[in-house]
Amino acid sequence: MNAHDEQRFRRLSPLTPVARAPIVLLAVVGTSWQQLISQGVGVFSIMLGALLVAGGAYGVASWVRTKYWIDGDELRIDTGVVVRQSRRIRIDRLQGIDIVQPLVARLMGLAELKFDLASGGDREGSLAFLPHREALELRSSLLDRRDDLRDGPSEGAASAGGTPPRAPAPEVRLATLQLGPLVGSLLLSTEALLMLVSGVALVVTFLFTGAFLLAGGLAPALIGLALALARKLTSYYGFTLSDSAAGLHVRRGLTSLSSQTIARARIQGLLVTEPLLWRPFGWAKLDVSVAGYKTSDPDLVQASSTLMPVAPRAEIHALVHRVLGRGVSGVPLTAPPRRARWVAPLTAWTMAVGQDAELVVSRRGFWHRRVDIVPQARVQSVRLAQGPLQRRLRLADVHVDSPPGPVRLLAEARDEVEARALLEHTVTLGHAARQRPPQPSAGRGSWEPPEMTQ
Amino acid sequence: MDDLFAPPGSPWQRVSPRLAVVRRWLLLVAALLGVVVAVALHLLLDGPWWLLTAVLAVGAVLLGWAWWLVGRNARRWGYAEEDEELYITRGALFRKLVVVPYGRMQYVDVEAGPLDQANGIAKLHLHTASPGTTAVIPGLRAEEAARLRDRLTARGESRAAGL
Repeated sequence: MNAHDEQRFRRLSPLTPVARAPIVLLAVVGTSWQQLISQGVGVFSIMLGALLVAGGAYGVASWVRTKYWIDGDELRIDTGVVVRQSRRIRIDRLQGIDIVQPLVARLMGLAELKFDLASGGDREGSLAFLPHREALELRSSLLDRRDDLRDGPSEGAASAGGTPPRAPAPEVRLATLQLGPLVGSLLLSTEALLMLVSGVALVVTFLFTGAFLLAGGLAPALIGLALALARKLTSYYGFTLSDSAAGLHVRRGLTSLSSQTIARARIQGLLVTEPLLWRPFGWAKLDVSVAGYKTSDPDLVQASSTLMPVAPRAEIHALVHRVLGRGVSGVPLTAPPRRARWVAPLTAWTMAVGQDAELVVSRRGFWHRRVDIVPQARVQSVRLAQGPLQRRLRLADVHVDSPPGPVRLLAEARDEVEARALLEHTVTLGHAARQRPPQPSAGRGSWEPPEMTQ
Repeated sequence: MDDLFAPPGSPWQRVSPRLAVVRRWLLLVAALLGVVVAVALHLLLDGPWWLLTAVLAVGAVLLGWAWWLVGRNARRWGYAEEDEELYITRGALFRKLVVVPYGRMQYVDVEAGPLDQANGIAKLHLHTASPGTTAVIPGLRAEEAARLRDRLTARGESRAAGL
């Protein structure tokens, strides 16, 4: 590696200490101001002031100590005031780079870069905060660099020899979330329905008893539901999905903007949901399971794996086609036998399952109709399960396991003989699918832990 | 043996009967605790003798039933090493069968508690990228568990390399 040209380090935005702890700052300033007015300069406010100064000094020191630079095929981040840390992130292992803008940072024109390394753990790195433009530039240069590294050393050497740097890949906008369907889908959600029911219960009890008898129990629930709806609205607002060589880009958010890149090779399965209340309008939702996302935070998983919160069914099918490179309608689905109604009286008629050389597909559910799609090459294991009642009816369930995410492929209440055949088929088809040459850049290092030195 | 849970080619390898021994010991400990609690409650609350007798009788019946279930369950565990995947079956009342391709294995754990060690058995746990995969084989003889772990790891590596 050339030591002289790439060793120049860069710093974060000097506004970082201010953007880092705005709430703490406000709280400290607020309380000590009140103290000053009411009691003059007390011991308490002096202590708070000292704390503030120390915190500020630490923030500045941490900014001075934090440096980052691209060193050959690694991104190096040096941090730490007391204990110094040096983190090296191998650029070719980067699965995606997310740009996140919390409200305060957004007001100051700053952004945070989060590096996704598919380790699924907490060892991922981040750079907070950079000026927004610089964050965008750094992301695209890192992703370009990664593609060069992955394309192999020969091409990399060729492009280094005088050819102009590759132009940023053209981005194609695939879909934009319309405000109408977004608001409509939220009004037709389970949360809104629950709000309506509890609101009606509140009014009815008031009319009959003259007192808000249920208010103590229902008010917190109502507030919680309203908050959940408001959070969905703000996080899905302005949702756009676009496609580029690096992968699928999701941009969304009202108060806090977030932008995320999902490499196609990391998509482990798709889920199309059509809640009952949406069906008159023909709306559907598209989620994907993505390898490497943390599972400890359910919000993060749900938000980051949504490709389109709500759109007309035809548009969702077009997106599925785009992601998979083929349609799902070619997969022949078959229903379970009639006696399945004994174990699932309400939903047996909604169930169907099928597979071909590339995909396994299951459909089920009445209240939440869902279609789960898993590529054969992504199947982790296949399971058969049979309870005592099912045994009497000669029925069995077949589960197809894929990595953590919203997708749960399940062939419920199939005929025994067919279930065993389904299992064997999935096993052989999966084996064949893994033998086939993978799609471009698929499966490269997708499950190896990233290498870092600290 | 029914067709649904028939072995894939080679017959099922059954686990050691020691598994039932270990589980029955645990069952006895739990039953003993139950007797102690029942007697203590009887003395504290000064309940009628017929109630204590009835509770202990029901407990004894339950113990006998669980004793039988444990034996039946231990006999139903089985696994088969095929060319490309591992088959595991288990359960008598709720029957399960899981198939894991060797290329999908992430790592293999072998664990043995103190009671397991005293009886010379161990539990093997196979992990894939999916949390839904419940590929566990308890009650393997310790040396068989070690052999299986090494074999599975070796096969997993060669298959994953071929991806």
